[in-house]
Amino acid sequence: MPETARVLQFPARQTSTAVSPAEALEMAREYLSTAEEDRSENVKEKNLSNCDVLLAICKVLRDGMESSPAVTVTEASFLYRWAANPESAVGVFDEREYVLGEAALIAAKGSRLLGKLGDAERWLDRSDAAFRHIVNPAPSLAGIAFERLALRFAAGRYEETLELLPSLKSSFKKLGMGIENAKAQFLEAIALRFVGREEEHFTLLRDLEQASEVRACPSLHGQVLVHIGHHEAASGDFETAARTYEKALPIVMRGNRPVALCELKWAIGDAYRSQGSPRRALESYRAAKSDYQQLGFRAFVTQMSLLIAETLLALGRDREAEWEILSALPAIEEEKMVPEGFAAVALLRESVRRRKTDPNALRELREHLQAKS
Amino acid sequence: METGDPVVRLEEDPYEKEVRAIFHDTLGLIHIALVTHYGLEEGEAMELEKDLYLWFLRFCMRPGNSSPRESRPFLLVACCQFAREYQKYVIGAGVRRSNDRLKKLLDREPADVARDFSRSLDLLDFRNHDA
Repeated sequence: MPETARVLQFPARQTSTAVSPAEALEMAREYLSTAEEDRSENVKEKNLSNCDVLLAICKVLRDGMESSPAVTVTEASFLYRWAANPESAVGVFDEREYVLGEAALIAAKGSRLLGKLGDAERWLDRSDAAFRHIVNPAPSLAGIAFERLALRFAAGRYEETLELLPSLKSSFKKLGMGIENAKAQFLEAIALRFVGREEEHFTLLRDLEQASEVRACPSLHGQVLVHIGHHEAASGDFETAARTYEKALPIVMRGNRPVALCELKWAIGDAYRSQGSPRRALESYRAAKSDYQQLGFRAFVTQMSLLIAETLLALGRDREAEWEILSALPAIEEEKMVPEGFAAVALLRESVRRRKTDPNALRELREHLQAKS
Repeated sequence: METGDPVVRLEEDPYEKEVRAIFHDTLGLIHIALVTHYGLEEGEAMELEKDLYLWFLRFCMRPGNSSPRESRPFLLVACCQFAREYQKYVIGAGVRRSNDRLKKLLDREPADVARDFSRSLDLLDFRNHDA
C-alpha cells in the first residue's frame, strides 16, 4: 500500500494470513468448540478478524443449526454484534454487510426453530437491511424471502404461504438456485396438506422425490420420504408406508439432520398407532421425545408428551398418562403455546386433578399444538 | 495475478484454481479500470488487485452465487466501487487533485461504469473462444 494510503488508513487492508477453506473450517470448529465465556479476547480477535475463518464459522453454524438452535442463536447474535462494531476489522469491500446479513439470517432461522417467531422476524429485518448493501444481493434476499415464508407457515398462515410461493420459486429458478427451489417446493407440499389439498400434496412430494437436486441432498430427500410415508400411512396403506420409512432411514441418517430423524420416529409411531399397535407406537413416540429433548425443542417435546399420554390412555395406563400431561402443562403456559383462555387446557388440567383424564380435551389440545407447528 | 502475490498457497484446491484462472483472465481489464479510468497509481492498483482477488474468492463461495465465470460482472462492480471510494477519499483528504474527467467518472454509479466494462468481458470471451 502506498505511503499516502497507509497514512490515511484507507482502504483497510486484510492483515490476517490467508488460509485454505479446509484450514478455515478447522479453525472455525475449534473456535466454536470453546464456550463463549471461555474465549479470550485474543482468541476472538485472531479468529473473527480473519474473514475466511469468520465465514467458515457462519457455515458451521448454518450446517449445525438444527442440532443446537439455542447455541446457534447465541453464537450468531454475538457474531452480529461483533461485525456491527465499527472498530472490528471485517474483510474488505462489502464483507462487513455480508457477515451482518448472514449472522442475522442464521439467528432468524435458529429463533424460528426455537419457536420464537417475533425474534425471528426482527432478525430477518436486520438481515434484509445488511444484505441490501452487498454486491449481488439477489440470492441472499431470496434466502430471506424463503425464511419469511417459513415464518408465515410456522404461524399457521398456510394460504398466504401458498399465495407467495410461486414468485419465490420463480426467483430461485432465475438465479439457478436449484436446491433452494426444491426446498420452496417442499414447503409448498407441506402447506398444501394443511389446507386439505391432500392429492396435490402427495403428487408434489412424489415429483420432488424424483428430482435430481433432492436426491443429491440427503437431508431434504429424507424429509420428503418421511412425508410420503406419512401420507401412505394416513391413507391406510401401512405396508407401502413401512417400505418408504425403511428407505428413508439410511438417507435421513446420512443427512445429518437430527430433526428429520425425530420426524421419522414420530411418523413411524403414527403408523403403528393407526395400525392398532399402540405399544409399538409408544416406543417410537418415546424415542422421538427423547431426541427432541436433547435438541432442546420444547414445543415438540410437549406435543410428544401429549401424544404419549393419548397412547397410554388407549392402553389403559391412566396414571402414566397423567404424569405425561403434568410434565407438558408448564411448558404450554410458559411458552404461551395456546391463546389465553383456551378451554381445552383448563378442562384437561381439571380432569387430571380429578384423576379422570378427559381424552377429548387432550386430543383437542394436541391437535391445536400440532397444527401450529 | 501479478508478481509478489501473497495469497497463493502451495496446496490450492481445484475450485480456488478455477477462481484464480478467471480472475487472471479479467485482471487486464481490472487494471485498465483502476489505472486508466479511475486514475490510481500503479502501486495502488496492484495492492487493490490483491484485495480484490481475496474478495472474489470468498464472493464465489457465497451460497447462491453462480460460477466464477458468471460472477465476473460482479467483480467489475466491486472493482469500480472500491476504486471510486478510494479516489474520493484521497481527493477529499487533499492528497490528490481531481480533474473534470475524473470528477465525471466519480459522479457515475460504479455499477454503470462496470456495465460498460462488462461489454469488454464479452469481447474477451469471444477472443478466447476464437483462439
